[in-house]
Amino acid sequence: MADEFIKGFAALMVGGLGWMTIAGWYRTPSFEGAQLIGELPPAETRTVFDNMAIAMMDVFFWFAVLGCLTFWVLIPLFEEARNYFSERSA
Amino acid sequence: MSTNDTDDEVRTDGSGGGIVAPDDETPTWSERKQRSQGLSRLTYEYFERSRREDQDLRQQSDYVERDVLAFPAWPHEMIRNLALTSFFVGMILFLAATLPPEMPNPANSAVTPAIILPDWYLYWSFGLLKLGPLNPDLSILGGQKLMADRTYGVLANVVVVGFVAIVPFINKGSARRPVEQPFWAAVGMSGVIFSLTIAALSIKNLIPMDSHLLFDLTFLVPIVSATITYAVLKTMREGYMFDLNRRYYRLRPPK
Repeated sequence: MADEFIKGFAALMVGGLGWMTIAGWYRTPSFEGAQLIGELPPAETRTVFDNMAIAMMDVFFWFAVLGCLTFWVLIPLFEEARNYFSERSA
Repeated sequence: MSTNDTDDEVRTDGSGGGIVAPDDETPTWSERKQRSQGLSRLTYEYFERSRREDQDLRQQSDYVERDVLAFPAWPHEMIRNLALTSFFVGMILFLAATLPPEMPNPANSAVTPAIILPDWYLYWSFGLLKLGPLNPDLSILGGQKLMADRTYGVLANVVVVGFVAIVPFINKGSARRPVEQPFWAAVGMSGVIFSLTIAALSIKNLIPMDSHLLFDLTFLVPIVSATITYAVLKTMREGYMFDLNRRYYRLRPPK
């Protein structure tokens, strides 16, 4: 259980840090308005590296969300269900 | 030893004219008998079993018990400390390199800013200055106020800081976890929430909410959170085998 917790926590932290960094580069047009969730730069001004980074931003974000959901909810749920059914059949 | 029974004879249970006079602390035999049941029996078995397991482990292994209290500073502690230090220094370097903070224009001392605010960690004190609506109009003074709103706000700071300073003196318990004293945990929780809500009140022109509702919520949310905290902790005591744990924590070393 402790292992599952730290795996989910690591996914949340690594994904969150990566997302926060790239969102700070591309989704923070100014420090006065919306930060990290602001407007993306227009598509025609982006280079191929900008597009790669923006794709990685979404990858990091969903890694954080799905990673902690997997290790904190799905895997324990699966274990509980497996124990329940094995006890019921025994 | 003579065979006649007299009251002066030493008895094994400490009664009679014994060597050590029984005092209030000495359990009677009936009390000792009661300890063979229920929670006290469970406590006894719990510690006896852990002691026995510990003894078995020591006898089976080739572990040599040494007269030390901790790991040596080199290399054990030093490697751990270096790992932690490297992590935090690395995080500082990473964040400073990737997300450098904004460097705004230097402050112009000739112009008053549109919004005057202290630093964020002083918002709670700034919010206490805005408690003017609580300053009572006294009918005996013809609807006048006893003191100005600004004096009232400063007095509110004195009251709140004074209460925070008093709490350690009115609760001298030795509880280490919130479940041991749900009431005081609820008091602390309401204080934490109040420091947040009063900070939100201080920037009420930036909060997208009706300011009267915000003012009411400033005082209602801490009470609600204290109630929830108390109820949750009171419920948790059951599942924690609270009494057993309390016996365990009584064994903590003296200060």
